Amino acid sequence: MWRTILRRALSLIFVLFSVTFLTFIVSYLAPGDPVRNMMGGRQDPLRYVFLRHLYGLDQPWFQQYATFVLHLFQGNLGYSFKYPERPVWDLIASGVPVSLKLGLLALTLSLLIGVPVGIFAAVHQSTWKDTSMMVAMLALYSIPSFVMIPIVWVIDLALYKAGLPYLPVAGWGTPLHVILPVLVLAAANVGFIARIMRNSMLEVMRQDFIRTARAKGLPERLVLRRHVFRNALLPLLTVLGPATAFLITGAFVVENLFAIPGIGYLSIQAIGQRDYPVIQATTILLALSVVLMNMITDFGYTLADPRVRIE
Amino acid sequence: MSYKKNWNLAISAFVIVGILLAGCAPIRSAPTAAPAAGGTLRWSLEGINELPALDPPLAGASQSVGVISLVFEGLVRLDGDLNIAPAGAESWDVKDGGKTFIFHIRKDLKFADGSPVTADDFAYSLNRAFSPDFANGNAGYYLSNIVGSTDVTEGKAATVSGVKVIDPQTLEIDLQVPSVYFLYQLTFPASFVVSKKAVEANPTNWTDTAFGTGPFMVKEWKHNQSITLIPNPNYWLGKPQVSEIDMPFIQDPATALKLYQTGKLDIMGTYNFPTDQIPSISSSPDFKQVNQFFVTYIGFNNARPPYNDVKVRQAFAKAVDKATLINKVLEGAVVQANTLIPPGMPGFNESAAKIQELNLAEAKSLLAEAGYPDGKDFPKVSFTINNQDPNYAKIAATLQQMWKENLGVDVEINTEELSKFNDDLTATANNPTDAAALSFYISVWGADYPDPQNFVSQQLRTDVGNNNGHYSNAEFDNLVDQADVEPDQAKRLPMYQQAEQIALTEVGWLPLYYGKANMLINSKVQGIVVTPQGLFPQGDWTKVTVGK
Amino acid sequence: MTGNANSAEQTSTFRPWWVYFFRNRPAAVSVVFLLTSLFFALVGPTFYQRLLPAEQRNLRNGVYQDYDVINGSSSAMHWLGTDYLGRDTLTRLFVAVRVSLLVALVVETLNIGLGGILGLLAGYFGGWVDMLISRAADMLFAFPGLLLAILVSAVFGSTARDLYGGTGRLLLVATSLSLVSWPLMARLVRSETLSIKSRDFILATRGLGASNFRIIVWHILPNVTWLIIVAATLDVASVIVSEATLSLLGLGIEEPGASLGLMIFRAVSKLERYPMQVFIPAVTITTLVIAFSFVGDGLRDALDPHSRRIS
Repeated sequence: MWRTILRRALSLIFVLFSVTFLTFIVSYLAPGDPVRNMMGGRQDPLRYVFLRHLYGLDQPWFQQYATFVLHLFQGNLGYSFKYPERPVWDLIASGVPVSLKLGLLALTLSLLIGVPVGIFAAVHQSTWKDTSMMVAMLALYSIPSFVMIPIVWVIDLALYKAGLPYLPVAGWGTPLHVILPVLVLAAANVGFIARIMRNSMLEVMRQDFIRTARAKGLPERLVLRRHVFRNALLPLLTVLGPATAFLITGAFVVENLFAIPGIGYLSIQAIGQRDYPVIQATTILLALSVVLMNMITDFGYTLADPRVRIE
Repeated sequence: MSYKKNWNLAISAFVIVGILLAGCAPIRSAPTAAPAAGGTLRWSLEGINELPALDPPLAGASQSVGVISLVFEGLVRLDGDLNIAPAGAESWDVKDGGKTFIFHIRKDLKFADGSPVTADDFAYSLNRAFSPDFANGNAGYYLSNIVGSTDVTEGKAATVSGVKVIDPQTLEIDLQVPSVYFLYQLTFPASFVVSKKAVEANPTNWTDTAFGTGPFMVKEWKHNQSITLIPNPNYWLGKPQVSEIDMPFIQDPATALKLYQTGKLDIMGTYNFPTDQIPSISSSPDFKQVNQFFVTYIGFNNARPPYNDVKVRQAFAKAVDKATLINKVLEGAVVQANTLIPPGMPGFNESAAKIQELNLAEAKSLLAEAGYPDGKDFPKVSFTINNQDPNYAKIAATLQQMWKENLGVDVEINTEELSKFNDDLTATANNPTDAAALSFYISVWGADYPDPQNFVSQQLRTDVGNNNGHYSNAEFDNLVDQADVEPDQAKRLPMYQQAEQIALTEVGWLPLYYGKANMLINSKVQGIVVTPQGLFPQGDWTKVTVGK
Repeated sequence: MTGNANSAEQTSTFRPWWVYFFRNRPAAVSVVFLLTSLFFALVGPTFYQRLLPAEQRNLRNGVYQDYDVINGSSSAMHWLGTDYLGRDTLTRLFVAVRVSLLVALVVETLNIGLGGILGLLAGYFGGWVDMLISRAADMLFAFPGLLLAILVSAVFGSTARDLYGGTGRLLLVATSLSLVSWPLMARLVRSETLSIKSRDFILATRGLGASNFRIIVWHILPNVTWLIIVAATLDVASVIVSEATLSLLGLGIEEPGASLGLMIFRAVSKLERYPMQVFIPAVTITTLVIAFSFVGDGLRDALDPHSRRIS
């Protein structure tokens, strides 16, 4: 048990390092000079040299990376290039709880809706009920959020103009503000989860032990509840890791349009602006969360399914 | 400088114009009989999700400049008619034909925390703005004319020799060359006075609760979300009536529009407006639109074929149907630009508009004369744009088709991210014959101050910083050099106009259009004026109110 | 086949997989739909243009800008109206579908090639080969998927276009999307390989002296093919959606080319004025996604050896 944990921890560190290295190299090779960016239009050669030195950008790449890692261990994430007054840590610290709240709520909602829908569709496989449910789910999945949000806004605005109760169109801070963004974010995920659930239900339902249970005379409902459902949940766990990551990065459109102060939008913007310290920091953070999620779900899997043992 | 939209927006927010656009008087909100007291003003800052800087020397983006101007003040300010008015200095003397300025600091001038402000504080702020710590700030750009300023930035001196404290109420500033527009340059944040006490008490985070000598002070700065201002009880004009200004950071202007439509904002769109929605909103009485002084133009690499040939440039210029571009494709959201000096600025010359007018026959013959009849053998060129402004893609696509149809030339569109674009622009400026240099591109320029010098000499004189395309004409240089130092307005304007004629004829630039400022202002906001350079209080902030 | 051996009730009727496939109505309909779409996407523009006399043909070529009909609604000349530059929407739709299908094809080929082969090798050989491949997959898994695609596109986008023109951009988009897809494929293939590896018939084959290569190619590969095909088909849906998001960020296909994501992106700011310009490409994406999903499900039902049903 402990050996597994230790091994997992080591692999976590390895993954984090490689992620930071990959990000670093890609950023380093990227066309677009962050110092020039910072300086805007006034290209003064003296200041250019000065700033380059200040940010350590005139060092060879391995030295830059080493400095970065060293600072990381000291908990120093550096200062953002775009917001020279703000340490990266500050920028992220305020954004993480927000994105986390948004992401987890959306994940919960999509599970609460997606799982039952998937089960329903699987149970009624090949009937019109199944097909129509899946069409609805896939439609939700395929509509990009930057289309869904304006449509939602049109409806909300109509409600407002008609004097009916309506939801805040943007912003963050009260429970009411949370509703629309969570709905939109969950909508994209619900389709994904419903489909996974349906598929894994079907897989389990085809297995021999189910046939045995039925042959024993167990009512279908009990078969489903006691045998199928529990086993079908397991594959869902494996996708939770990537699903979480998707929620956080995929949320950048939602965060952007609803003016929510999370890190999703921050990370996308940082790439466009070559704000390396922020890019590095958010990538590490996201990688960390994905890997942690994976670890948790893997262990959960082990606990839930005695047949599976992680080597 | 030629491209960095934020800079230009910042600048344009502060330019003062003596003469406003013909036929476009500042739009004033109708005064009521007795202004209601107080009220909360909700005013969105679009285009950002966090205020980049609140420390005056670091102000770059227009949103920073906007908020800084509410909290801090300098020696002089702009009033609702965009004229220079006293601020920290109650009067001033100009000596040596514009080389020496003596400012008389207002007595009883106080910071918002009650501490007195003297000439020493102004000197402190200026020295600070030039210090190496703020090397990436904007003091060097606007105020480099002050004697000794660059020495401080380079670390050779601790204080700026041209800034002299004569006595607590008198400040002298010496310039290297006389300047007609120095006072305008002082309306930029770089020279605003900051409290030494506040800065030294909390060097890293003092801006979180920033205060200065401006009409407001920071109540709360919720990072990545919003900033809230409250009146400065010690403002020298009196305490503003507005009880609070709530400024949320809204990245996407479409979001700000929706917030306005659901009654959550009182003013929106001043920094960025969803232009695609204008046709549906323009009928609303809240909608205000004003022409701005920032010009979008096409720049050419004059040092490299094929655009080193003036005939080619002329052909391209005359083949562009600007009217169709602006009225049909851009749906009239902007104003056609035909001259270098914009309408409304001193020196504007209507007749210069004809020089680059659409003329297909001439365009074709010019191209033929240049050696490419009907576009035959014309080299493959790349038209570079950046991806910041959604309109650029439309413009590039339209121009591409126009040049193809009218000249027979194939132009490829090259869209770059802003950072790469800036890089390439710099490369073009430094090594125009290099393969990496751009051939021609779309760029923007916003006026720093209302003077033709800003649009003529500073853009197209040989080897000037903004002349990325290396346009060069000896006669042009001669004219502008003389005009730049000529103190008599009646003599210098015609010189600029002549220079403009030359530059337009030779297509140093191909101006396309001037932007329009679009915004929505709720009628309950009283006392605010919409000017081409942004929102100003009609007189000053003490008279602005927000009714029910 | 194994299916037969397990069931007592199953008759000896062994039907080829396509019979099962076409019994699945949604899948059958979807396949027909996709093939029709492909057909139209390929030849549609030519026929559509040929309907006009020669001098007018370029009005319908999808790139010609007719400034007099900007944002026009559907008319006799332009069956689906025109876009913000006066270009024919129907032609652009055909081209966009072509692009989406092409990108999907390239991504899945890379996905199958890279993910399938690496998964096979990892599962079969185990040991350090497995560790190496699994770590690499983990690392890419941990890297927030879309972020990587964005980073790569942002960094190498201009270079790709400079070197290879519009096609280069397309390929870059495809490559970056496949970079984030292959780890999942590899994982799936690896698990299936592991379970097949331990089966009796493999032991038997080895006992007969077959080389590793022979075993992998002739015995294991045929048994994972169905998985690869199904996973690839299901992945297409997410590729199409990801392409839309990349277009949102300006990192996908560029003007004057057309892609579904780009068309939606350009039209969404005018949703309230010209809703059709958004709905047409959005509905296209949705139907493509639904069709591919049903086909994938149908293929899985038909090909999965575990799933041969009694009925």
